[in-house]
Amino acid sequence: MLDIKYMLEITPSLLSVLHVTLIILIASSALGLGLSILVTAIRIKKVKYLSQVMDLFISFTRSVPIVLQLFLMYYGFPFLLSMIGIHVSDFSAAAATVLALTLYNAGYLSEVLRPAYLAVEKGQHEAADGLGYTPFQKFTRIIAPQVIPIALPGWGNALVYLIHDTSLIFTIGVADIMGVANTLISSSYGAHQIEIYLTIALLFWAITFSADTMVRIFEKRAAKYNLSNGIAPKKKAKRKMRILVQKGV
Amino acid sequence: MFKFDVMAQDFIGILMVVPKTLLLAILILFLSTILGGVIALIQQYRIPVVVQVVKVFKSFLRGTPAVVLLYLMYYALPQIAHLLLKIVGVEFNPHNLNPVVVVIVTFSLTMSAFQSEIIRGAFMSVSEGQIEAAHSLGYNFMQTLSRVIMPQALMEALPDFLNSYMVIIKALSLAFLITVVDIFAQAKIMGAMSFRYLEAFVAAALIYWLISAILTALINRYELRLRKAY
Repeated sequence: MLDIKYMLEITPSLLSVLHVTLIILIASSALGLGLSILVTAIRIKKVKYLSQVMDLFISFTRSVPIVLQLFLMYYGFPFLLSMIGIHVSDFSAAAATVLALTLYNAGYLSEVLRPAYLAVEKGQHEAADGLGYTPFQKFTRIIAPQVIPIALPGWGNALVYLIHDTSLIFTIGVADIMGVANTLISSSYGAHQIEIYLTIALLFWAITFSADTMVRIFEKRAAKYNLSNGIAPKKKAKRKMRILVQKGV
Repeated sequence: MFKFDVMAQDFIGILMVVPKTLLLAILILFLSTILGGVIALIQQYRIPVVVQVVKVFKSFLRGTPAVVLLYLMYYALPQIAHLLLKIVGVEFNPHNLNPVVVVIVTFSLTMSAFQSEIIRGAFMSVSEGQIEAAHSLGYNFMQTLSRVIMPQALMEALPDFLNSYMVIIKALSLAFLITVVDIFAQAKIMGAMSFRYLEAFVAAALIYWLISAILTALINRYELRLRKAY
């Protein structure tokens, strides 16, 4: 049955490449957040033509599987560059990964941020304008504090999906945990696949768990900005559930 | 250069496997919905012990990428099947397990967590007044469930189910790792045959986009009709 000792033995060698996953994860989530804010701004302000392009971009990132997006980026990006006259001789798989994951994350996040922005009541904008706030002040002091608590759970989901998708980067040849798994399998003559993949699953579980915990801490800190006027519907749903449970339905 | 005639050829070649992919996804949607329903019921009634197990199971599914789970299942499922069948007394060679079965089992499991959330949400959306009215009319528990709650919950959940369907179709793109041929795997094969990967991948992306556009249009029309009905 399961060889626990072997699982403990291979953990250090799996952890030794964890930084590849983490660097790609942090880079693409930071860049993705930045890009998604830009995309959301373009779509909310309805910038001519650009807004339509962004709609197209979002529908693309949401309807094409991430593996295919990775491959398209890896094979297609150098080609696109060569069309405008820049010739890249060695486009690294890691760069393609970061680019593809950034676009994917931005596409997902902008669908989180837009509804969150639109959920802030019109009266809030009007009140801020009436008090003579500059647009920048209005955004940083009135709008953003209300957008963040609404958007945080969605951002947490996007982060978890991103963690999942970093496990796919080995398909275009980045040597991450899954790459090490392949080496381990061939060095153990295919005797320990179950143990190896179970260890990786547990590692990813730990990463996701810590990401979830981090988001929950953020949510708690942002909760003080929550207004009671329907922005926090969670409590209501919980109460309803309790009533249903009591009724035995 | 980018060759459009190669892409057109790839497009037609990939279209051949679209029905297979869609059928596989329907099967997975069906199985995961049943499993999700069971999970939702367990969580709703808070059956002791089982509810804790389900909680850990869901957390594990949320934490583990589908690829890792797919590989894990690919190697573990034959062994599990072998052990289970040995108890019943059936001789089963672990090497005979079809990878398609592995794909179906893995994605049914991963999707069941999503489906259980959708089902829970749909049941929540049925207002208490409906249930009270059913009780006052003398409906018993089963009648209330099948005649009042289920129809309304199903209407509510249908758009989300279509969305899950798209998620499954996309998730199937990982099946190529364990030699099951779906849309993406076919694109890789076509690309390898003509040595033109980019054309094949663009064709595959277009097909995914098309499927998604059709499903989104269906969801939108359905939601519009729902809103009209009230």
